[in-house]
Amino acid sequence: MNSLSATSEEEDFATTFASAVRGGLDKVLGQSGAAAVLSHMTVASSTFPDPAEFHKKLLALFGPQATLSLERAIVKDLMRRLKWALELLSIEGAFDFSATMHKIQKRAKS
Amino acid sequence: MTTKRPKLGSLTQKDIQGDTAGSGAEDLAETRIATVLGLRQFTQRPVRTLLIKGLAGTGKTILALEILKAAGKGKGAYISSRVPKELLESHIPAMKDTLDNQNFLDIRLEDATSVLDFVMQLTEPKTVRTIVFDSWDGLAKELDQKERLRAEKTLMALANNSGAQLIFVSEEPGATTIDYLVDGILELLRVEEQDRAVREFVIHKLRGTKIPQHKYLFTLLEGKFTFFGPYVTPDYSKMSKFVQRSDIGGAYSFGSGALDRLFGGMLPGSTLAIEYDENVPYPAFRAIELPPIINFLSMGRSAILLPLPGANDDRTNSILNKAVGESTVAERLRILSVVRTSDLETTNLPKSATPDEIHELVTRETTRLRAKSKDSSVLLVKSISALENLFASDLDSLLEVTSQEIITLAQSHDAHILFLPKDSPIRSRILSMSSSYAKLFVRDGTVLMLGVKPHTGVYALQHLEDPTSPSLTQLV
Repeated sequence: MNSLSATSEEEDFATTFASAVRGGLDKVLGQSGAAAVLSHMTVASSTFPDPAEFHKKLLALFGPQATLSLERAIVKDLMRRLKWALELLSIEGAFDFSATMHKIQKRAKS
Repeated sequence: MTTKRPKLGSLTQKDIQGDTAGSGAEDLAETRIATVLGLRQFTQRPVRTLLIKGLAGTGKTILALEILKAAGKGKGAYISSRVPKELLESHIPAMKDTLDNQNFLDIRLEDATSVLDFVMQLTEPKTVRTIVFDSWDGLAKELDQKERLRAEKTLMALANNSGAQLIFVSEEPGATTIDYLVDGILELLRVEEQDRAVREFVIHKLRGTKIPQHKYLFTLLEGKFTFFGPYVTPDYSKMSKFVQRSDIGGAYSFGSGALDRLFGGMLPGSTLAIEYDENVPYPAFRAIELPPIINFLSMGRSAILLPLPGANDDRTNSILNKAVGESTVAERLRILSVVRTSDLETTNLPKSATPDEIHELVTRETTRLRAKSKDSSVLLVKSISALENLFASDLDSLLEVTSQEIITLAQSHDAHILFLPKDSPIRSRILSMSSSYAKLFVRDGTVLMLGVKPHTGVYALQHLEDPTSPSLTQLV
C-alpha cells in the first residue's frame, strides 16, 4: 500500500466514521438532536472526531447511561456502513467507545 | 456540512453559569414545583419535567413563571416561541423582575436544532435549575412525530443529566408524545361556578407525589399564581386582640375588613341572607357570624345569636369572652339555642313552642338587650335551619313569623344576618325579602363566598390573619 492510497483509505474511514456518528446520533436523538450535538461540540460532520474526546463531551452532556446508548448506536451504524458483522468486534466486558473505535480503525486498515 | 454554533440571543457561557457555578444544582429540585403548587408535603421524589396544559388565558405562563422564579435569580431560563420579552413583561407586570433575573431566549424564528443546542449550553454547566418552554407546541409542531419524540427524548436526557427541571407549556388539548415522557402533567381550566368564572388546575400525573386530591382552585390576582388548598380549621388559641371597626358612613361594620369590602357594611334595618351548602365547615360560618357580633358588642351595642344546629356553644362563648370580655358577653349578648330543651325551659317555653312563641321570645330578648345597647341597636344572627328543624311540620308559620321579623326589623335600627340552607323550603321567600344575599359553598375543598345581592366576584375564604376573622381572596 503506498502512502497516497493509505491517506485515501484513512480519509474514507474518517468520512465513514463521521457519517456513522451522525447516523448513530440521528437514530437516537433525531436529526435536530444530532445536529445540535455536533454543533454544540463544534464537530464538523465530515471530520473524524477523536473518540476519547467525543466520549468525554457526550458524557458531560448526557451522563453515562445515555452516552452508552448513543455510542452503541454509533458503533452499530459504523459496522453497518462497513458491512461488518457486530460479532467481529468481540466486545468483552464493559463497553469502551474509544477502544472500540480504535479497534475498528485498526481492522479497517488491515 | 456546517459546524457553526448558532448565536442565540445575547447569552454567554458566563451568563449561563451565573456567579455560583458548580454548586447547588440539586438544591430543592425535589420540592420546587410541588411548593409552587402547594403540594410540597406530599412530594417524595423529584419532579424534573412538567407539562402545563390549558387553553389560552388559563394562566399557564404565570404558573410557569412562578416555577421559574422559585429556581432563584440567574438560575432559570425562559424560552419563548410566542412573544418577545417586552410584550410578556407588559402582559404580566408582576413577573417583570423574574423575567429580568433569568435568561430569556426568543426563539420565534429559530429551528429545533438551534433550540436544542441552546438547551445544551444551558444544561452542560449544571447550574441552571429550571428551563421553561413557552410554548413547546410552537416548536414541536414543525417536526414530524418521530422527530418530535426524539427531540423530546433528547431534552429529557439533557435534563436528567444536568438536574435541571424542564417546564413545557402547551395549548394542545389532546395527549401528545410528551405526555408519556414527563414526570407531571397539569391542566389549567377556567370553569363556571354560580355564573362566575373560576380557575382550577387538574393534576393528571405527578410522579413520586401522593396526590390527596386531583383538582385545586387558584387565582391569578395581581398577576401571581396563588393556590388554594382545602379549607383549614383555624387555631383559635392564636386569636389576636380584636380591633374595633367603626361604622362605615351610615352602615354598621361587619367587624371584618374583608366582609366590609365585599358588602360595604350593614345598613340599619337591613337583612343579609347567607345561603350555604351542606359541605361548608362550621368554622367558616363562625368567621362570618362572629366578627359582626364581636364588633357590635365592642361598640357598646347588643346582639342575639340563634346558632346553627350542631354549633359548639362553649367554643363560641370562649371566643366571644376572649374577644370582648365575659361581663360584656353576659350583659349584652344572648345565645339562644332553640333546639335545646334547656334554653326553652329557661325562657318558660314548652318543648313544643310554636313559631309565634319563639318570635315573642326573640322580640322580648331584643327589647331587653336594646335597652342595654348604647344606641338601641341590636344585631340578630339567626340560623333558619335551626328553626326549620324545630318547625318542620309548620313551615308556613315559620315563614310568616320570619317575614314579620324582617319587616319589623326594616323599620328599626337593628341589623339581621340569616343563615339559610341551600335546600331550605322557604329559601326563595326569605331571599326575596332580604336586602343582601350571599352564598357560601365549597369547591375542591375550598370554601368560597360570593355576593348575589349586590353582585360580587367569587372569593376564597381562609383564615390568614386571625382565626375568628375571614380572609377573602378574589378568584380572578
